[in-house]
Amino acid sequence: MRVRLQGFNIIIIVLSGIALAYVAYPLVTLMVFVEPTMLLHAILRPQLTNAFILSVFSATASTFLLCIFGIPLSYFLARFENFPGKFILRIIVIVPLVLPPLASGALLLGVFGPYSPIVKAFPAVEFTQSVLGIIIAQTYVASPFIILASQAAFESVDESYENIARVLGKTRIETFFRVSLPLAKTGIVVGLILSWVRAIGELGATMMMAYNPHTISIQIFEDNAIGGLRNAVPDIILAIVLSLIAVFVFYITRRRQRQDLLRLRW
Amino acid sequence: MVELELVNLTKKFVGGFRLGPLNLKVNDDQILVIIGPTGSGKTTVLNLISGLLKPDGGSILVDGRDITSVPVERRNIGYTFQNPSLFPHMNVYENIIFGIKKKWKHRNNNDVDINNLLEDLGISYLTHRRIHGLSGGEMQKVSLARMLITKPKIILMDEPLAHLDTATKRKLRIEMRHILRRQSAPTICVTHFEDDVYALADSVCVLQSGIVEYSSKLGSLMMTRQYDSNDKDSTSRLLSNILTSIQGNNYLEGNVIKSLGGITTFKAGSTLLETLGNYNIGSKVGILIRPEDIILSKEIVKTSARNVLRSKVVKITKYDAAIVDVFMVADSFHLTSRITEEARADLQIHQGDEVFAMFKASSPQVVREEEKEEE
Repeated sequence: MRVRLQGFNIIIIVLSGIALAYVAYPLVTLMVFVEPTMLLHAILRPQLTNAFILSVFSATASTFLLCIFGIPLSYFLARFENFPGKFILRIIVIVPLVLPPLASGALLLGVFGPYSPIVKAFPAVEFTQSVLGIIIAQTYVASPFIILASQAAFESVDESYENIARVLGKTRIETFFRVSLPLAKTGIVVGLILSWVRAIGELGATMMMAYNPHTISIQIFEDNAIGGLRNAVPDIILAIVLSLIAVFVFYITRRRQRQDLLRLRW
Repeated sequence: MVELELVNLTKKFVGGFRLGPLNLKVNDDQILVIIGPTGSGKTTVLNLISGLLKPDGGSILVDGRDITSVPVERRNIGYTFQNPSLFPHMNVYENIIFGIKKKWKHRNNNDVDINNLLEDLGISYLTHRRIHGLSGGEMQKVSLARMLITKPKIILMDEPLAHLDTATKRKLRIEMRHILRRQSAPTICVTHFEDDVYALADSVCVLQSGIVEYSSKLGSLMMTRQYDSNDKDSTSRLLSNILTSIQGNNYLEGNVIKSLGGITTFKAGSTLLETLGNYNIGSKVGILIRPEDIILSKEIVKTSARNVLRSKVVKITKYDAAIVDVFMVADSFHLTSRITEEARADLQIHQGDEVFAMFKASSPQVVREEEKEEE
């Protein structure tokens, strides 16, 4: 569509330009601090590579946990008939999204902190200041993304497909795996990507649960605190590369999701 | 012989709508068409029989066995929805074999069964096509194949032709009866199109606000002339609409005795009539003729009309200020002709007179064809 430069269109273009510049300009200014030879040296620092690997591992692990527990919960919210208290469940699900991450971390410390019953029950397990602590924090904070996206994906699947599968002799579990899940697949994948990205970027709750070992976000925080922005640039560039890969996958999946929605709308 | 029976079936919904108590019986040589306005509970009946809904009371019996509490997937019921609901993530073949039980999947004759069925339905060419891009008629046939391949004990169809264009609807409507009759399974078809009744039904049942208001064999309904389209009673109006559907209110049935060069001769009662098209010799056809297409004369005159019926006028009613409907009995069936009052006065047609009703071979529209029954 050719955009005509008049009235409403001009206002939209100007406001969009300001918004875009606001998001992109910090990325440009970051380049001022980049010195290529120093950058490579800094990136290969063991501290940073360890933080990078730990972030990828913990974010993947928490996304995997969300797959196992979050997807069934989203199906439950989308498909089970309205019952008293369902509204409360919907609110509980979005709590980690609206709560300040530090507050989420504090809540988790209440459950997994030194004097909690869970820790007393499993004294050999290190729930805080450990990789497990990071995964617990990331899973909590990233959970709304997968649950809300999957719930919307299941709701967009016409129930008649599931009913037909049942009438054709499939049990509820067969129907879930052969019809509901494949039809909601792209929406769920979008949720998984968003959860993974959120877990990678998680700082507040992770700081409360496990400041050590360092994730990439904590490494950025610490390098900036010790040596200023110039010191944190390599960490930030690594984080940006990770995010860009995720954003790329996200957009490809979103495109497929749109095509799927068109197909489902028949 | 399989028999489906609903006994005092009831279902109450939160909004206050109540279905039943419903009592129906369908045999395996029977297609029951349930007709009724939107919201009368037609789809609810099918959902209760299939098990997608649980009744509040009553029972569903198949061959005398109570299946009311049997889970949906174990009822062996074939159900096609208003929307064909083909799985968009599978191709045509994958959709069709979806309902075949795992233990049957590796049988050698599965492919033969599938190929025969697809050929029967005329959709062999679709086997490996994707769902996206199929026409409405093709989708409906694939959905039918997916249901029939499971060899269901009972067949339920919810507005099977609702989404199709007029031409496809007309063609598929006639084909569908052939296909369904071959299954020998009690069949219930729900519709709000009066035309479907002519094409599919052995019996008709009218559902109004969750209650069966009328139930009879199609033949008995066709012989009835007591329903008025202006009646305050909505069931009467509905039945009148069936009898006076958009295509005409004259419905005749006869056996094909000759079909050659695009002209088919069939015997209705003891009268030979002609219509256009080729139909199987021995098959039974049902035709509709618009009342406007029937012309009347007091004596035999030579015209291009191929069909002439000696008839007796039983009633004359005003259609509007200038037009009258002349009701006649010819041979063993009823006919209505719509002519101007001026023409009636000119011809001096009165109740009790003998007249000749004429119509061209191109006037009848074949709405139903039944294959010759095996001896």
